[in-house]
Amino acid sequence: MAEVHVIGQIIGATGFSESSLFCKWGVHIGGAWKLLSGVREGQTQVDTPQLGSMAYWSHPIDLHFATKGLQGWPRLHLQVWSQDIFGRCQLSGYGFLHIPSSPGAHSLDCVTWRPLGGWREQLARAFVGGGPQLLHGDVVYCGADRYRLHTAAGGTVHLELALILRNFSRYGIEC
Amino acid sequence: MADPGWSTDTGEAVYRSRDPVRNFRLRVHLQKVTSSSLLYQSPPQLVNDLIDMVTFNPRTSASGHWRDEEDEEEVVIGWQEKLFSQFEVDLYQNETACQTPLDHQYHQEILNLEASGGRKNRRIFTYTDSDRYTNLEEHSQKMTTSDSEVPSFLVERMANVRRRLQDRRGLSTSREGSIVKSRIITWEPSEEFIRSNHVINTPLQTMYIMADLGPNRKLGQSNYEQVLCTLKVDSNGVITVKPDFTDNKGPYRIVMEGEKQEVWKYTISNVSSPAQREEEEREQRVFKDLYGRHKEYLSSLVGSDFEMAIPGSLRLFVNGEVVSAQGYEYDSLYVHFFVELPDNWSSPPFQQLSGVTQTCVTKSVGMDEVAYFSYPFTFEASLFHENEFLADLPQWPVLYLEVISLDFWQRYRVEGYGSTVLPLAPGSHTVTVSTWRPVELGTLAELRRFFIGGSLELEDLSYVRIPGNFKGKRLSRFGFRTETTGSVTFRFHCIQQSKAFLEPGFGWKKMQSVLGGFYKQDSVTNVLEAFQRARRRMQEARENLPQDLVSSSTL
Repeated sequence: MAEVHVIGQIIGATGFSESSLFCKWGVHIGGAWKLLSGVREGQTQVDTPQLGSMAYWSHPIDLHFATKGLQGWPRLHLQVWSQDIFGRCQLSGYGFLHIPSSPGAHSLDCVTWRPLGGWREQLARAFVGGGPQLLHGDVVYCGADRYRLHTAAGGTVHLELALILRNFSRYGIEC
Repeated sequence: MADPGWSTDTGEAVYRSRDPVRNFRLRVHLQKVTSSSLLYQSPPQLVNDLIDMVTFNPRTSASGHWRDEEDEEEVVIGWQEKLFSQFEVDLYQNETACQTPLDHQYHQEILNLEASGGRKNRRIFTYTDSDRYTNLEEHSQKMTTSDSEVPSFLVERMANVRRRLQDRRGLSTSREGSIVKSRIITWEPSEEFIRSNHVINTPLQTMYIMADLGPNRKLGQSNYEQVLCTLKVDSNGVITVKPDFTDNKGPYRIVMEGEKQEVWKYTISNVSSPAQREEEEREQRVFKDLYGRHKEYLSSLVGSDFEMAIPGSLRLFVNGEVVSAQGYEYDSLYVHFFVELPDNWSSPPFQQLSGVTQTCVTKSVGMDEVAYFSYPFTFEASLFHENEFLADLPQWPVLYLEVISLDFWQRYRVEGYGSTVLPLAPGSHTVTVSTWRPVELGTLAELRRFFIGGSLELEDLSYVRIPGNFKGKRLSRFGFRTETTGSVTFRFHCIQQSKAFLEPGFGWKKMQSVLGGFYKQDSVTNVLEAFQRARRRMQEARENLPQDLVSSSTL
């Protein structure tokens, strides 16, 4: 059994056309893995940037995993939403990130995309907001059905993750 | 001996302890500096330091020097132990002067002391956390030479922190638990909330060690009181001592104001009795027990075994992402990629070694048009060697990719071809692959590409590197024209697993230094040679081992 600690934060997001952003996140792990402690999904507050365009969340991530094998290394999926002045939420982007495998501190940028929809929906989105969302969230972290999608590029979410590994060298693993 | 080695640094020192603070003891030694006592070094640790100088020390007792017992004093003080000063004794002896319950308690204690033969301390005394002085001192302590210095808002608040603790000791833990989770924001903060939350909120316990440095036989005047040492302990076991212990430093000095300008020196040392050996052992046993049980609990959850690589093989795990594609001519891009495993590599049958991303409309970032995919892929491959002394060295898997644009009218254009060798070193790598696309001479082809889509395509993607059906000594692409297009960014997290890494002589550091050289020399061979050597050594070691040991090591 080997153990992985993931400690870090979702710092914020840049490059989204909307302000007042918030982020839902979750961690997906394979069958050989077990979450020993920590919260595996969460949601940040709504942040409205006052200066500049970066929304800061500084949302903590602290997870402790144990594993029997290397398949199914933890993967992080994100959804960035924006809230307008009427309190309506609309999707701004889906993002995905493999949790790095080497120990140490990692500064990561996660790019996002959103489903585009037809021209009617695009027009509606430009004027009244809304827009299509994924039916099944697993498309974000599984690549198999991605080819069906037509998407638009979104912004970037910035993360800082630090990893502590235990016992991996005992099983002849270099990561 | 002329320089007594004063400590002039009276800054505070911070210590941490997990043990209960009631075991904290310190010894304070106070001595008046006179012309003769300057030469007399009483603290034993100083004698140790100056062992060669000891002959110069005048033997005070031998020379018959008379020393006033009020000029020197040494006491051992425990945490929050109250030692009364002459002033306090005089004050609290009189029952009419007592107002608070604490005063009455002190009155009783002083009477008891008198009955049992008087107090032992003379000049050194203490103010504990509950004494009036501690509050006053905190409130009226001056920081500058200004005459009209008024305590700031923060000073009052900080004093409150300590006072609040006195009022409600032991309540803090239960308070934390009662915070309602659903209410994150307090819209109408109460007085109490402001008082407790607008300043640092770690409750402190304070204690002052004081000295009455009045003239001999005229003790008990409060204007001669001097602070020797301030001790603060918070609930997290942080002990602040100001000034620091004088364990291996010279004593501190106090110069009295007034005509005589008497000089006093004092030392403070930590004499908390260390834990008993049995106690320490017991503590360690308890910890060991706890950790052992925790480990058992973990392995009952997950299981203690781990998936191992087959001996003599190297397993490569790649967690990858197609991050973005930038700098392409047309919009709505998608990336099609696959991984080619060279000879001697294999992968599990369920493994998917290719992928197609979604179609993504680009956006402008700086000068570039960028499409974001964040498309995940993972795969696993193993490198085997049946024949140990194979002449040629193994090759590393290669990732081929093509970028295609698909526009509104379903016109399909090849935007670029590229390839990259997967990273050889384990760890995280961000790789940007530059791509090209074939072009035809003449404007007709470009016009066709612009209006109706479609352009030259490679029949076989492996032509990007070395064509699969290529047999020869030189690869020539002369006559083939291409145009530089954009680039695709990948992120790889590589993990390698092999029993060879467990071999003591192997040393990944060595491998890494070779890998470092690889990037400079741009040659795979060095790495693979090192890997081969290590494997061979391991194989030999295995053959030399007795059979039973080998079978047990494969478990």
